[in-house]
Formats: sequence, structure tokens, C-alpha cells
Amino acid sequence: MILELRNIEKSFGEKQVLQGISLKAEGGQAFGLLGRNGAGKTTTIRILMDVFPPNRGEILLDGRPIDYHKVSLGYLPEERGLYPKKPIGQQLVYFAQLKGMKHSEAVTATRRWLERLGMGEYEKKRLDTLSKGNQQKIQLITALAHNPDIIVLDEPFSGLDPVNAGLLKDVVKEQIQQGKIVLFSSHQMNYIEEFCQNIAILNQGKIAISGNLEHIKRSYPRDRLTIFSPQYQEILSHLGSRCQLIQPGELLLHLDRPDQKQEVMGNLVTHYDIDRVQVYEPSLNDIFVEYAGDHV
Amino acid sequence: MKQFQTILSFELKNFFKNKIFVGTTLFIVAVLAVVMFLPNLLDFFGSLGGDDGDSTEQSILLVSAPSQELSQTIVQAFSAAFPDYDVTLTQDTTDEIKQQVSSEEAECAFVFDSLTSYTYYVMNRSLYDQTTQIANQVLVGLAQVEAMTQQGLTPQQAGDILSLQIDGKEELLGVDQAQNYWYTYIMILALYMVIMLYGQMVASHVATEKSSRAMELLITSASPVNMMFGKVLASCIAGFVQLTVIFGSALLFYQLNQGSWGGNSMMTSLFDMPPSLLVFMLVFFVLGFLLYAFLYGAIGSTATKLEDINTSVMPLTMLFVIAFCVVMFGLASGSVDNIVMLVCSFIPFTSPIAMFTRIAMSTVPPYQIALSIGLLAVSVVGVGVLSAKIYRVGVLLYGTPPKLSAILHAVWHA
Repeated sequence: MILELRNIEKSFGEKQVLQGISLKAEGGQAFGLLGRNGAGKTTTIRILMDVFPPNRGEILLDGRPIDYHKVSLGYLPEERGLYPKKPIGQQLVYFAQLKGMKHSEAVTATRRWLERLGMGEYEKKRLDTLSKGNQQKIQLITALAHNPDIIVLDEPFSGLDPVNAGLLKDVVKEQIQQGKIVLFSSHQMNYIEEFCQNIAILNQGKIAISGNLEHIKRSYPRDRLTIFSPQYQEILSHLGSRCQLIQPGELLLHLDRPDQKQEVMGNLVTHYDIDRVQVYEPSLNDIFVEYAGDHV
Repeated sequence: MKQFQTILSFELKNFFKNKIFVGTTLFIVAVLAVVMFLPNLLDFFGSLGGDDGDSTEQSILLVSAPSQELSQTIVQAFSAAFPDYDVTLTQDTTDEIKQQVSSEEAECAFVFDSLTSYTYYVMNRSLYDQTTQIANQVLVGLAQVEAMTQQGLTPQQAGDILSLQIDGKEELLGVDQAQNYWYTYIMILALYMVIMLYGQMVASHVATEKSSRAMELLITSASPVNMMFGKVLASCIAGFVQLTVIFGSALLFYQLNQGSWGGNSMMTSLFDMPPSLLVFMLVFFVLGFLLYAFLYGAIGSTATKLEDINTSVMPLTMLFVIAFCVVMFGLASGSVDNIVMLVCSFIPFTSPIAMFTRIAMSTVPPYQIALSIGLLAVSVVGVGVLSAKIYRVGVLLYGTPPKLSAILHAVWHA
């Protein structure tokens, strides 16, 4: 199963929010959709969820225009919210039915998910009696109970304690293993790095960079070395402006050419007390700051 | 269709499981029961109090006259005219009579100088005291008979002349406004209240879903048309059920107590509504309700917070209040076919109550009724579709409630 957004454009009045967004997400993998606030992530997700149509562009599933009657989508919005005054079981069944399930199926599915997330005892309770983290788990069930083919999770980990975050990770991994398309949107880069093979970074309605995260990292010129050494001050004074202090004990050395790295590494190990030296690879955080910043 | 049914049944359950909704309905039914059973209850408690001996003691009306003959005539006539009083002839002096009235031994007293001149003594005069008017009528009659007998007529002939009856027949070709006034009044009031209450309820439900952010999930789970129509139809059904329960129980209680209310013309006319009018009531209720509820729903979708609702719905509420006032003035003045009412009975926002009033209180040509219902029905469909579009755009707008022009612009370009 391959989901493809091609050249999506969307304007609200005079403001062009999306300016030709294209991305491709595959089943059995998680896709990370990144961008600063207001970059167009939510609009992209809403177009994908068929809340409103794009002005231009198309959404394809396995090469054909997506048919919302045949494919089912699950959505965990960033703005969490259900009916605070209604019993949890009742509203979960309602949302599953809205997604096309029969009443009996919906009841079975929501009970199974409540048990799975350790919330079985809360079925008859009102939502507003639950803690924020538990409410979030209930919200997650609305995204998953109807067994969707495509799952969109907007900031799924915010507000969860480490135990619940671990539980959610297991659930997400399970969904990915089942071959579903999982679309992640988050500002917590560590989770994106953990789950997503492919990413796209949005900046002011355009894709700033997209593709396989490993490839993106490797595409950076391998002309920098990270040096860990107790003698970092001596190295810094010796190598001068080419060397940059990251933090005490850690330096970043800029090479003239990538092919110098063997020679420079050898010299460093010969002359100084070196704990570790490696080719510098940018973290997702670095890539995000570079591509989602205003200068692009 | 399945999605629409899911939404409709969810929304209906919300109404019928709402304690305030059920409680209010039952409270109104209980109040109606008390009112309708009131005459029976009063009789019941009355009989409990007075079952030892004669019926309630009669008040005493004292009569004092200068001559024996005059006294007899007056007492005889007064006894017939005041069946609730024990009319007693007295020879006491004026001061003694006053004393008896002051001490409430007697209710009131008439001290006559002649047949056409008397003084009336009473302790506290009630607002509704008609004793003197009745007495005057009786005395005028007596004086006229006396005058005629002096002219040579026998008392029998004089009596015949005075009790001459006019045989007037009345044939009603249209409607009797006096007969229809009360149920029209109550129906209009019910229509007005239900549309107001439920309209605002729809608006606040939509705004609550938006402010609790349940909307984020709803708009990605269901189509706006289904959401809007499901919500509005559910409240229409709930309103209809509530009205049916209230009016149905009122009718039932009336049937059970019909004997006790038999003489009350207002009650009789109230429950004697022709079935055709009930059908019109139903048609105008459903269409009028839908028209306003759609608009209330659309307005609710543009509010970010529940507090914004009151100001946002104000123009629509004002429109309906004005329509209501116009119709009520027309109804009260009796001129339901004046030019304002005529115009109002075709404008969809006013026609549900204006045309209904005209049908109930006047004779309206069938083509006018058809035109009015047709215009209203078309407007309901149009407003329904437009509201769903506004809803689709409105629910995604957060922040300050947008201007009408901005919403229409967004709807046009959506």
C-alpha cells in the first residue's frame, strides 16, 4: 500500500497555505511529517482526511485516486478533545460507528482496546473524570478502534508519562508491523528518529526536504569529525579556527576535503589522548533546524 | 445514510437521557395535571369540609323600605335576582343596620326612600362587586312595570312588553375569532418558545463540540451535511415529542375532567381545535423549526467559545422576536389580514407563525397557503445546504467570531 500526495496546493483567501506538497508513504512504515508551527502540517493532514479538498493536486493510494468510501483512516488530532460529560464507552462506540462499524463490532472493538490500554474499568465513567494522560489514551482508541488502513498521529506522545509512552510505542510498532501506513507529526525528534524511515520537513507551505532519513543524514558531506578527548583545549589551540568547541570534552573539526579524514584521525590518535573520534552525522534536530528555519 | 442514522440516534439519546430535558417535561405535565384536576380537587376538599349539615351558610342582604307593600315587592324581586344571598326584610333604624353591616352580621344592606331611591351599605367593597348594578336593573324593571300599570296596562301586559325577546340567528361562514383566539394564542406561543429554546440549544451544542475540540475528530469522521441534518432533526424530533407529551397530557387531563370544566368557554374553545388546523400546525412547526435550527446551528459553528454564542445568535433571535411581536399585535387587534401580516405570511422567517395565525383566525385563499408553505419548504432546503457549508467552514475557524461577509466569502470559495 502506497499513499502519495502529489503537488497539493491550498489557499485560504489570499493566503496560500500549501504550495505544491508532494510526499510518499508506504505501508509497514512510519512517515514523519515535520515543520514549525504554521508550516502547513495540519492543513496537509486535513486535506488527507478529506475535511476540505485541495485547490490543486491529487491524493493517490496505490497509484489511483483515493476512494474515501473504501479506505479507512484513523486520526489522533493535536488538539485533543471528546465529549467531556459523556460515558467513555458510549462515545468510543459512537466514533467507531461513524467510521462505518456496526454497533456490535464497535462495542467489541472499543472494549478490546480499553483492555489493551489498561482502561477497561473506565468504560462507564465520564471522560472528564480521567487524568490528561488517560484521556489521551481514550483519544488514541478513537483513532484505532475501527482498524484503519492509514493512521495519522499528530503529537501522539505529548503529555504521556514514560510508562504510557512505552505502551503507545508498542501499539504504534504493532500497527506498523500489520502493514499499515502510519503518518507521524511531532516536534519530539527522538520519537520520529525511532519510528520513521522516511520524513518530510515542511517550511512555509513547501517541502523543504523529504526522503529516507538515513539517506538524508548520509547526504551531508562527510567532512567533519567529532572528537571526544580530555585534551580538548590543547587540540583546540593547536587546530585553531577549523576546530569548534561543542561542549567541554567534545570538539567539531572541519576538514578541507572528506578524503582527509583517515589521515587526520591517525594524526589525532598519535599525538593526543583520544577517547573517540568519528565522522560527524547531523541529528534530525540539526536537519530540522537547518530546513525548517526562516532562512530557507 | 447509515452515518446520518448513527448521528441522529446519538443526538436523540442525548436529549432523552438528559435529566433536565426529561425533568422539565415531567414538571410541566405535573403542573398541567394539577391545573386540570383543580375543579375536582376543590370540590373534593369542599365536600370534606362541609358534609355535616346544610350547605354553606348564605350571606345576609338586609332590605329596609318605607312601606309594607314596597318591602314585599323588593324582597321578592331581590330574592330572585340574588340567589346567593338570604334577602331579609328589616325594620331596624339606619344606625342599627350600619352596625350590623360593620360587625359583618350582614354582608350588605339596601335602605330605600322610594322604589327609585336607596342607599347601599357595605363594609368592604370588592373589585368585582356588581350588587348595585343588579339591584338597579331589578329596580328599573319594577319601576317600569309600576309606571305601565298606572297608564292602564295590566301587570301581565307590562311584563310581556319588558321581557320581549329578539330572535337573532347567526350563521358562521368563515372562522369565529373569539372561538379560535385561545388555541391560536397558545399554539403561537408554543411554536415561538420551542423554536427559540431548541434553536439556541442546537447552537450551544455545536459550540460545545467545537470548544471541547471534539469537532476535530467529528469533522474527520462524518460529513458536515450529515452532522448538521442529524443534529437539527434530532432536536426537531425531541421538540416535537416534548410538545406532543405536554399537549397530549393536557388533552387527556381535560377529557378526564371535562364535566368539571364544562361551563368554561375558554377551556372548551382551547380543546376544540379542528384537525385541519392541527395538520397546519404540524407543517409550520416542522418547517419553521428546521429553518431556524439550521441557522442557529450554522451560527454555533462560527463561535469558538460558548460565551460567544449569546452575542452571535442575537440578530437571528431579534428577527424572530420581531416576527412574534408583529403576529401578536395582529392577533390581539383582531386584524390578522392587514398588509403587514399579509407580507409576513410569505416571508419564510415570519411565515410559520404569521400564516398559521391567519389560517386559524381568518379565511385564507388556498393558493396563498400553498405559496407560503412552498416558499418556506424551498427556503428550508436552501438554508439547510447553506448552513452545512457554513458549518464545514465555521468549525475550523478559531479565534474571534468571523464577520458574516467573511464566512460567506469562505463558503463561496470552499
